[in-house]
Amino acid sequence: MIELKGLTKTYAGQNVVDDVSLTLDTGEFGVLIGPSGCGKSTTLKMINRLVPLSSGRIILNGDDVTELPVEQLRRRIGYAIQSTGLFPHWSVAQNIATVPQLLKWSKSRIDDRVDELMALFHLDATEFRHKYPHQLSGGQAQRVGVARALAADPEVLLMDEPFGAVDPITREVLQAEMRRVHQQTGKTIVFVTHDMDEALQLATRIALLNGGKLVQYDRPIELMVKPDNDFVREFIGQADLGLKLLSRRWVQQYQREPSLEHQATFPGLDHRWILDDAGRPVALEGARLDDDHQRTEVKPEWTATPEMSMKEALSRMVWYRVMVLPVVDEAGKLIAEIGMQGVMGIQAEDGTQGS
Amino acid sequence: MTLARSADHRLVGNRVLLTLLVAAVASSTLLPFASLSANRLTSGQPVMLWQALAEWQLAALALIGLALLVAALARPLPRRRALWLSLIATLVLLGLDFLALGGYAHRALVDASAAARVSQGATFWILLLVSALIAIDALQRLHLGLVKRALFGAAALVVIGACFSGDLLSPLSIMREFANQKENFVDQLIRHLLLVAGALIPALVIGLPLGLLANRRDSLRNGLFSVLNVFQTLPSIAVFGLLIAPLSALGRAVPWLGDLGVSGIGVAPAIIALVLYSLLPIVRNTYSGLAGVSPGTLEAARGMGMTSRQILWQVEIPLALPVILSGLRIVTVQAIGLVVVAALIGAGGFGAFIFQGLGQYAIDLVLLGAIPTIVLAVIADFALQILVTLSRPPGTR
Repeated sequence: MIELKGLTKTYAGQNVVDDVSLTLDTGEFGVLIGPSGCGKSTTLKMINRLVPLSSGRIILNGDDVTELPVEQLRRRIGYAIQSTGLFPHWSVAQNIATVPQLLKWSKSRIDDRVDELMALFHLDATEFRHKYPHQLSGGQAQRVGVARALAADPEVLLMDEPFGAVDPITREVLQAEMRRVHQQTGKTIVFVTHDMDEALQLATRIALLNGGKLVQYDRPIELMVKPDNDFVREFIGQADLGLKLLSRRWVQQYQREPSLEHQATFPGLDHRWILDDAGRPVALEGARLDDDHQRTEVKPEWTATPEMSMKEALSRMVWYRVMVLPVVDEAGKLIAEIGMQGVMGIQAEDGTQGS
Repeated sequence: MTLARSADHRLVGNRVLLTLLVAAVASSTLLPFASLSANRLTSGQPVMLWQALAEWQLAALALIGLALLVAALARPLPRRRALWLSLIATLVLLGLDFLALGGYAHRALVDASAAARVSQGATFWILLLVSALIAIDALQRLHLGLVKRALFGAAALVVIGACFSGDLLSPLSIMREFANQKENFVDQLIRHLLLVAGALIPALVIGLPLGLLANRRDSLRNGLFSVLNVFQTLPSIAVFGLLIAPLSALGRAVPWLGDLGVSGIGVAPAIIALVLYSLLPIVRNTYSGLAGVSPGTLEAARGMGMTSRQILWQVEIPLALPVILSGLRIVTVQAIGLVVVAALIGAGGFGAFIFQGLGQYAIDLVLLGAIPTIVLAVIADFALQILVTLSRPPGTR
């Protein structure tokens, strides 16, 4: 748990961070967001004391951070930055092992931990262990950077615009991966970004800052539905508000039992799935506005997974002109379906959320 | 694409090689290969290539020329094979150049007076230079690794060593000067090296911390570099001259310093001047090597809880090392050259031969000082180049 109490940073007589107080519980994914110069990065760097605070307090799991020896504090806190800051003269494995080395772990323990982290980030250990940072793509380098930050199992992970410099496609992959890593590790994360879509994707708590002051601190959906003032409303953006909401909803919340017999998709439409012997969807009968009985071959491009956002699911429905998507597990087996009702936020009536 | 096109349409594949070949042919026909003189002080009669070489040597030279011409053309040889051919041809040319000169000296001196001397002429040097340039060009175009480069360098050294090992070159004037000065030569070599080391070690001891200081204290940097720049602009002879008065005064005033050899001339002013000249490159390269470490890397290192000392030794110095060593390479080569001038104030080294030779107008004695100086500089440059490469992070070599 991290508590900021009246946190203030003064540069040349000006408060760049002004009396910020907030509490982030253990396991939460907190995002600090705001326009440039709002003090979000400064706030983050005061937590691991890269920037000394002017007044106020920061309590990390009961300890006032200013009372701990600074190196000892930083070894309890993971730190990942936009430029990755990987050591160019060290291999991937050595880079990941940085903090465990500083903490003088045994060699076998370090090796095991490096393997574990590389597996967590889907980096093939035999391929990547001995590579050097300049041999990595931007996305791979960023994964190694985050793995390094997590190496000594820190109490909290600080991330300073980590995905700001990678291309949009890689960024989406990394965001999805970050969400998965957060769910798997349950780490408390403080994440700085200026990208509202990224914040909505990742955060469980968003702190919106402006001019050094905390404007609103809330769950992402609350921020969208109940903005405190015009600044919040404006910062979130009026455009695509519905789509932004959908980006915070997951298929698994709205999926329902798949229909294997003809069943209503939407008033006036019905459909059923045709499966192969292994239980994988082969085709969809119906659920097309133009021809209710048309058979549509199922393609991976328009299937959904439980972890997918409803925004992506809607996008696939529109692009492939179907009213319902199959929801498949990792083996490709049909476990549920997601339809227009889900897009509208209607949960399955029978309470089943697939199997 | 351009490669494919040049292979299709162009006649010449390697213009550098062709130019060097033309230069070698022009010098072989126009400039003397050797000279024959009555004694070591008179200027000699020019001896052209075709007069000096035995028939088989001329034939071999023509063959080498032909091989290099083929290597320079775009066809029929593929590019890499042509480069390898030129590389091997340079080794043969190198050996033949020495062999021809030594052979001529033996034949010419059989029935000449004991004072008669044979010296190498312009064409000898040009053939030597041309083979070196062809080899350097080919090595670069082939993108060979460090090991293969070093192997080629070793092969060239073996060829040269073989030429010098027997009696082949002993009748040459310069080798007779060497024979006269043999013990002295080794002394001066050691003295030369000691002077270089004596200058570099204090320069490193002072320069490395100053470079670190320039990196850490912005306020000191400009002043420091201005002062070091002033040293660099002073002519070396002027510095030696300037140091005479204060150092001889110091030597007299502080007897134990005087006993150590501190006086207006000799080793002390030489080393002081060399240290002053070496400081700027060392400090500047140390500074820029440290400044070249990316701020993100340093921020990450601090953010992960490395202490300042750990960051300096584990991150900054390893990453700055290639640049620091490049600075060392500059000052080593520079110091090897400057020590020659220090002979003027009695510091010794190869410069002693040069100034002695100049005084006697004995050109071969001058060369006896100049050539080893050049060889030392080339060897030091090559060795430090290897060190610079080895100091780069693995995978980026």
